[in-house]
Amino acid sequence: MTPARTLRLAYTAVLTLVVVVFSQRCGTPQVAGDDWPVEGGRLVATFRTEPTNFNRLVDAGPVGRLSALLTQATLLRVDPTSGDLEPRLATAWTGTPDGLTWTFTLRPGLKFSDGEPFSSSDVLFTFQALYDERVGSQLGKEMQVGGLPLQVRALDDHHVVLTFPAPFGPGISILDSLPILPRHKLKAALDAGTFPAAWTASTDLSAIAGMGPFVLTEYLPAQRMLFVRNPHFWRTDEQGRTLPYLDELEVPIVPEQNAELLRMQAGQADLINSGARAEDLAMLRDAQTAGRLRLVEAGTSIDVSTFWFNLTPGAAATQQKPWLGDEIFRRALSHAINRQVIVDTVYLGAATPVYGPVTPGHGEWYVPDMGATPFDLGRARTLLTSIGLEDRDGDGVLEDTRQRPVRFSILTQRGNTDRERTSAVLQEQLRQVGIAVDVVALDVPALRGRFGSGDYEAMYYGASSNSKDPADNMGFWLSSGGFHFWNPGQSSPATAWEAALDALMQRQATTMDRADRRRLFAEAQQLLADHVPALWFAAPTITVPISARAGGATPAVISPPVLWNAEQLYITGTRR
Amino acid sequence: MRRVAGGLLLGFVLLALLAPSVSPNDPQVQSPDRTFAPPMRVHVRDSEGWQAPFVYRQVLVDRISRTYTDSHDVRVPLQWFVGGRLVSVAADRGPLLLCGADAVGRDLCARLAYGARLSLGVAVLGACGALLLGAWLGATAGTFGGRVDTLVMTVADFVLVLPVVYLAIVLRATRPLVMDTGEMFVLMSAIFAGAAWPDVARGVRSVVASERSRDYAEAARAVGAGPCRLVGHLLPAAYGFLRIEFVLLVPALLIAESTLSFVGFGFEGAIPSWGGLLKDSEALTAMYSAPWLLIPAVALFVVVLALQTLAGAGASAVNIDRARTHR
Repeated sequence: MTPARTLRLAYTAVLTLVVVVFSQRCGTPQVAGDDWPVEGGRLVATFRTEPTNFNRLVDAGPVGRLSALLTQATLLRVDPTSGDLEPRLATAWTGTPDGLTWTFTLRPGLKFSDGEPFSSSDVLFTFQALYDERVGSQLGKEMQVGGLPLQVRALDDHHVVLTFPAPFGPGISILDSLPILPRHKLKAALDAGTFPAAWTASTDLSAIAGMGPFVLTEYLPAQRMLFVRNPHFWRTDEQGRTLPYLDELEVPIVPEQNAELLRMQAGQADLINSGARAEDLAMLRDAQTAGRLRLVEAGTSIDVSTFWFNLTPGAAATQQKPWLGDEIFRRALSHAINRQVIVDTVYLGAATPVYGPVTPGHGEWYVPDMGATPFDLGRARTLLTSIGLEDRDGDGVLEDTRQRPVRFSILTQRGNTDRERTSAVLQEQLRQVGIAVDVVALDVPALRGRFGSGDYEAMYYGASSNSKDPADNMGFWLSSGGFHFWNPGQSSPATAWEAALDALMQRQATTMDRADRRRLFAEAQQLLADHVPALWFAAPTITVPISARAGGATPAVISPPVLWNAEQLYITGTRR
Repeated sequence: MRRVAGGLLLGFVLLALLAPSVSPNDPQVQSPDRTFAPPMRVHVRDSEGWQAPFVYRQVLVDRISRTYTDSHDVRVPLQWFVGGRLVSVAADRGPLLLCGADAVGRDLCARLAYGARLSLGVAVLGACGALLLGAWLGATAGTFGGRVDTLVMTVADFVLVLPVVYLAIVLRATRPLVMDTGEMFVLMSAIFAGAAWPDVARGVRSVVASERSRDYAEAARAVGAGPCRLVGHLLPAAYGFLRIEFVLLVPALLIAESTLSFVGFGFEGAIPSWGGLLKDSEALTAMYSAPWLLIPAVALFVVVLALQTLAGAGASAVNIDRARTHR
């Protein structure tokens, strides 16, 4: 690199810095308008992920979910803020006393966005596609009870009967995630076995129709999606005005959170697709004071990052370091970690210390202080000594009985500041009890690759959930589940306590009585706490920034926190 | 200008060499109540008049907005040469944060000093390795000429077209995930030396090739000097070039090391290096509410500028020398 080139680069960097700082300080404050629902206008809501498929049955990820929320409708909806069931395409439902059979009355006179009428045949078609093996829908796998699909039949054009193969605790709330698809648009593709390719990112958008509040009219790869009002949307507000209020919802694809914030600061975005990071709150508070946006607290997150060791039988980690698989070792770690320090340092106080995967955000399922292991270095040292881990050479690092240092590595997600910083805090806190930790940050694909191959010692990562109900998160709780992090996908439970956990979770999922389900789930949580297969430290508080001109948002802790209710969004004080 | 640059560079070299002594705190120790704490001001005067240098204890006012205030109730005097540290404060009054604290409350000043050791060390060692390798290969190619010359220059051309940072990332990925600091230091230095030698080799080769036809080289050959001995006679002609290359390579490798550490392929997060320290400042809000996190970038900028200035001055000197020689 020549001196001139280096200088040019340096000057460019300084100029960029000045421009960025200046633009933050000098943004034009917007004055909030009158906060009433007014029809028309366009809001901008950023989104991080590039779409590959607009069909929720094919893409169970965030894009499929967003697309379904905006362009499709379900038979009913679970309000993520209250947990109540709301009628959507179905106006009413009645169930048999055993909760196995439900009859739904469909809303009359509905049309898809392309003008075609809606009937029970569309419901039947959706279930047919859901369970078609050629589609291979992940949603279809999740919407099974005891490994068996739900049965559906039509009584006439406006009534369908749904039958569960076995008692199912969450009941018909399972339908919250199933968009009803247009038979007339997709039947040919399903028959031809090309259903997964019918609504891809390269599809002509006129092929997509739905009964959601919006219609996707434009998709520019790596730039944006544009949704316009569905002229046939059926829902009205309390004053009888047709929803959605907005004419258009623009969704720019912004993969980076800093860029999202810059857009909000500059008034180029009204909503972002997630809660704000704790470190960004100071800047956002200033913007709120200046009237550019407002911060709304949605509650405690239901997604908690998990720290676990690789307990897969035969894993190299536990072969070489058998103490990694020892419950006492993990319990000692739990005592050695001051969770309040993590809350204060990583989340700047905007979080709640937790000892298990269930947080206050889970509402009725949360049991306060379940499995709490108070910060106690003395207790941690005693436990470590009890399994033969002592500082034998006085170097400050413990050694095992074979004189090998007690040292392990934590893999975590690169770029996720919360996880990287928590790992750094763990490293320092465990140093206090003589445990040496190496932190390795990897990209998500590399991290998942290591998880899949079992080539790691410990990992600090997590998965997001779309439901508070434990029966919807069986992938974590069951030993056969893919998210049973420490030993996923077991063909049969590896330990007696996991067999007991499986039985408890199966029972709570098939019990119809809510109180019984809570009791059984509390027992399951206690079992988990007793055997410490993983550790949890803090559940962040979800705070959502919303531009001053956007109204009608009711943020929830379930993603997407605002767009789940896109039809109610409006621009404050705008008259058409 | 040259003296200023030299002084600045010397200051950073001393900072690196004396890191344990000049750091007020252990670079690893975290203070939960000092996350993103701003730099402390050193005072010599208060309402009671002139005092020995002191600071006021920082008090956390609001954690979210990272607001700290100075507690003016008690002066915290600076301690000099206590516990092997140049300057510090009593343990129960600390920590002393002259450059502020990072995202987990670690002393940025201490991490900057320790980071200088690794960042400058890797850059200097990598540059030395590149010079040795490049000088040897370049001199060999220039002296022997013919197929040897073609072979060495073809390999050099091949290495030159490889993007250094990506090459380093690929090479790093072939090593175990967890490496201790010493191993990583040697690995990064070796990667940089392996990636940076072609420029040196080309320059040395051209100098040696032009010197090979001079009278003194002919004379050496006439008295029976073999190729190896001839290299010893020809290589000194490239010393000026090598000197300039060194001061050009060090800043380039310093930036390369910082880039690698910044993107997570360098030293492990807890180990301070300048690029690693800058990771905390990548968030937009760092520039907004904790601009002191950019101090490592300032240090990097100053060192690179100082080295470039010295390189410029060195190049002028070499040109003058050459002009005199040719006269």
